[in-house]
Amino acid sequence: MSTETVTFNLNDRDITVPKGTTVMEAAHKHNVYIPHFCWHPGLSIAGVCRFCLVKVDNRPKLEIACNLQATPGMKVSTLLPEVKEAHKWALEFHLVNHPLDCPICDQAGECKLQDFYMEVGKYKSEMDRPKVLKPKALDVGSELVLDTERCILCDRCVRFEQEVTKTGALGIFNRGDRAVVGTYPDKKIEHNYQDNLVDICPVGAFTSRDFRFKQRVWFLKDQPAVCPGCSTGCHVKVYGKPQVRTYFRVKPQESEVNGHWMCDVGRKTYKHLNQDQRLRFAVAADGKGGRQRVSVAEAIASLALQLQGVAASDIALLVSPQYTCEEYDALFAFFVKKLGVSKVFQWREPTENLDAFDGLLYRGDHNPNTFGLSEALAKAGLPKDVKNGFEDLARSGAKVVVALAPEIEFQFPSLAGQLQKLSELAFVSVWTTSGSAYNVKGLRHLVPLKGFAEKKGTFRNFQGKVGELAKPFPAAVDEAKDVVEVVTALAEVWAHA
Amino acid sequence: MAEQKPKIILQTEGLPDQHSLKTYVEKVNGYTAARKVLGGMSREQVIEEVKQAGLRGRGGAGFLTGLKWSFVPKDITGPKYLICNNDESEPGTFKDRYLCITNPHQVIEGMIIAAYAIGANKGYIYTRWEYQEEIRYLENAIKEAYDAGLLGKNLFGSGFDFDLDHYTGAGAYICGEETGLISSLEGKKGQPKVKPPFPAVSGYLSRPTIVNNTETLANVPWIINNGAKAFRQFGTEKSPGTKLFSISGALNKPGVYEVPLGYPFASLLNIEAGGMQPGRTLKALIPGGASAPVLTPAECEGLTMDFEAMAQRNTMLGSGAVMVIDDRQSMAELLKVTIEFFAHESCGQCTPCREGTGWLNNIMDGIMDRSAKPDNIARLGSVARNMGGKTICALSDACAMPVMSYVQKFSGELQAYLAAGSGGHSK
Repeated sequence: MSTETVTFNLNDRDITVPKGTTVMEAAHKHNVYIPHFCWHPGLSIAGVCRFCLVKVDNRPKLEIACNLQATPGMKVSTLLPEVKEAHKWALEFHLVNHPLDCPICDQAGECKLQDFYMEVGKYKSEMDRPKVLKPKALDVGSELVLDTERCILCDRCVRFEQEVTKTGALGIFNRGDRAVVGTYPDKKIEHNYQDNLVDICPVGAFTSRDFRFKQRVWFLKDQPAVCPGCSTGCHVKVYGKPQVRTYFRVKPQESEVNGHWMCDVGRKTYKHLNQDQRLRFAVAADGKGGRQRVSVAEAIASLALQLQGVAASDIALLVSPQYTCEEYDALFAFFVKKLGVSKVFQWREPTENLDAFDGLLYRGDHNPNTFGLSEALAKAGLPKDVKNGFEDLARSGAKVVVALAPEIEFQFPSLAGQLQKLSELAFVSVWTTSGSAYNVKGLRHLVPLKGFAEKKGTFRNFQGKVGELAKPFPAAVDEAKDVVEVVTALAEVWAHA
Repeated sequence: MAEQKPKIILQTEGLPDQHSLKTYVEKVNGYTAARKVLGGMSREQVIEEVKQAGLRGRGGAGFLTGLKWSFVPKDITGPKYLICNNDESEPGTFKDRYLCITNPHQVIEGMIIAAYAIGANKGYIYTRWEYQEEIRYLENAIKEAYDAGLLGKNLFGSGFDFDLDHYTGAGAYICGEETGLISSLEGKKGQPKVKPPFPAVSGYLSRPTIVNNTETLANVPWIINNGAKAFRQFGTEKSPGTKLFSISGALNKPGVYEVPLGYPFASLLNIEAGGMQPGRTLKALIPGGASAPVLTPAECEGLTMDFEAMAQRNTMLGSGAVMVIDDRQSMAELLKVTIEFFAHESCGQCTPCREGTGWLNNIMDGIMDRSAKPDNIARLGSVARNMGGKTICALSDACAMPVMSYVQKFSGELQAYLAAGSGGHSK
């Protein structure tokens, strides 16, 4: 790539950018906002919404910033009255046939059409004629509902299907104001990236089947996180309503790991965080069907007793690669360094295909921190091979097992069977976010954990890149702890025993 | 007087078998210009000659042809393309179809020369589907030229190859816009492409491509044979040469006429077209196709048929489609069909055009059935004003320009039509 730069003037400010940069890209990078619908940093230039008009000195007509290369000395303004007037009319044209059904539209609150209207709207519409009506509530894919009347034909979705998924599943049919976006006859969108269409749709034409009608977006809070769905480790935002401890959706956050996108599997990684899916308290059981709710402190005390009753060689750990590096460090510091435990096994899905990759983002290793677990194992002086150790555990003869269960259960088809097998072993303490272990009667000991969006820590993706869980939500379950907290409490009990 | 007019384009007009290769070669020295070019002129010389002649594109925009050719990068390897834009989609225009059935070989010869000038070895003639008869003439002429060794490999022993194919469009207005045409030729939906890059750099199949109008190309052999200076004898300083005008309306002899640019409108109307039909008077003039702003009879006083005179009156020569509107026609209904056409033909990509043409049509529906509010007539103007100059191609302007002119010049008639339907119904 050329390192040649160009300096041009944007709103009386000199900006230096690499040669070949468009005015839109330059403005985007330097936080000058130029209104737009069809331009998207992750897609090619369409130049069709005609909203990003700017004035270039000594040129008779306004030009679109998205297809305007910055040249040395060029003087560009987005603030002149004629530009503002052009933006107003561009918006007016977008609204001519828009249904204005914001009160029932899921996009309201994060709709660019709505936002721009507040900013540059004409307010007094000149449109007093009947609008063009188009098909609504179309089933175009398993994750999507399409309303072609709300669509402003920005072409982003069409380009996404052509350029990103390369499926070409969408087209714009017919011409003029009869033009509609849609799928081809008898075809639907079938890939694992459908919800990106909802994200890039600047209006409410594409809505998410999962999220629609669930919540007004202005009630949602979002926190940055890392997707726990696979070893790519997409940077995401988790959206929830902390005051009712409910999670609603996961969306991608732009990063060099995932660009602008994420897959539909990753978007489902919020569901297990909600209370109805969770293990809500610690459980002590006699192994014969008798189970009782105990406090986490009581559970930790009883686990300490069990551990003290056996030799270190009779203790084993079964660890899922879905926990943070910090949790592994704390776990191994106590069990391996302090107690001398050496039987540490990885709890992996036996049917996983580690080499699988869809060419975009989704990988066959459905764990966010295989890399981090290997590193932590090596640091603790243990074999770091990526290997499912479940059968080895069963053969190891351990009398007390501490098992850190996989958090994302829907990608773990063998889980139910494995929990059942664990329950047949001597004494197994399962630490988990999920309520599914509660229903396995033979399990002796359950500790409720926080989910990935509820704790601080880091995952390391397949390349070893660090992804941070920095700003956790309060846990949806009061008694949930993260592994560091549980191990710290355990070490304390141990020290005082 | 009419018989003294120079014939640059319709050289074979009126001769027996006017469209045949034999007539073109034997009667008007056809293909001598191509032979001359390939026999020793450099590409630069050809382009320079056409530049000197001041030939302007005859499709509507009037861009300098030689200048356009010079935009093709010279030092680039790989295929380049020449396309003859024979889509002739501007309403009122029927000159290229007449040229195709009268003198098709001159178009082909022009293409050989143009292809040589830009370094293209492959050319296409793109014709709208509706021109079935003209397509037969063209395909026949291409076959004749191939059979005579005038197309194909090693033309005139020069080592220059040029293959020419005909392609039939589906009849969309916007496929007459050069990048819309290219999209269509590529097998895509006929939609203009965002510029830059321009076709001369990245056009058909993302290769350097020149798109020229049929009539433009037909001028080239004459210029090569007779020189730029001779060409400039005709027409005006800024509009040299002759032009085909397709004149229509309630006239005694509507049709296609070749006259020098700068020719008086009054002569075109009264001599070539034989004047208005008995009992009819001139009410308005659309001088350059449906997208040209309309002129009042007063504005037609002293009007000459050239790019400059039209620009002076804020209208355009366009494709040379002269539509004479007589006193029995309703300006409201005329505006309605004009807008309806553009609303139907808008490709729908750019918002101002897609929504604007539809909105204008929507208002016109209201004027036709009298459901529109009185202020809607002024609104036609404000909507049109804000559609112009903001889109990928000129269709938005093509619709907006006539609308603004009708609202400015005939708003009284539009008001009357809306109020009572008394605005001069066409009989």
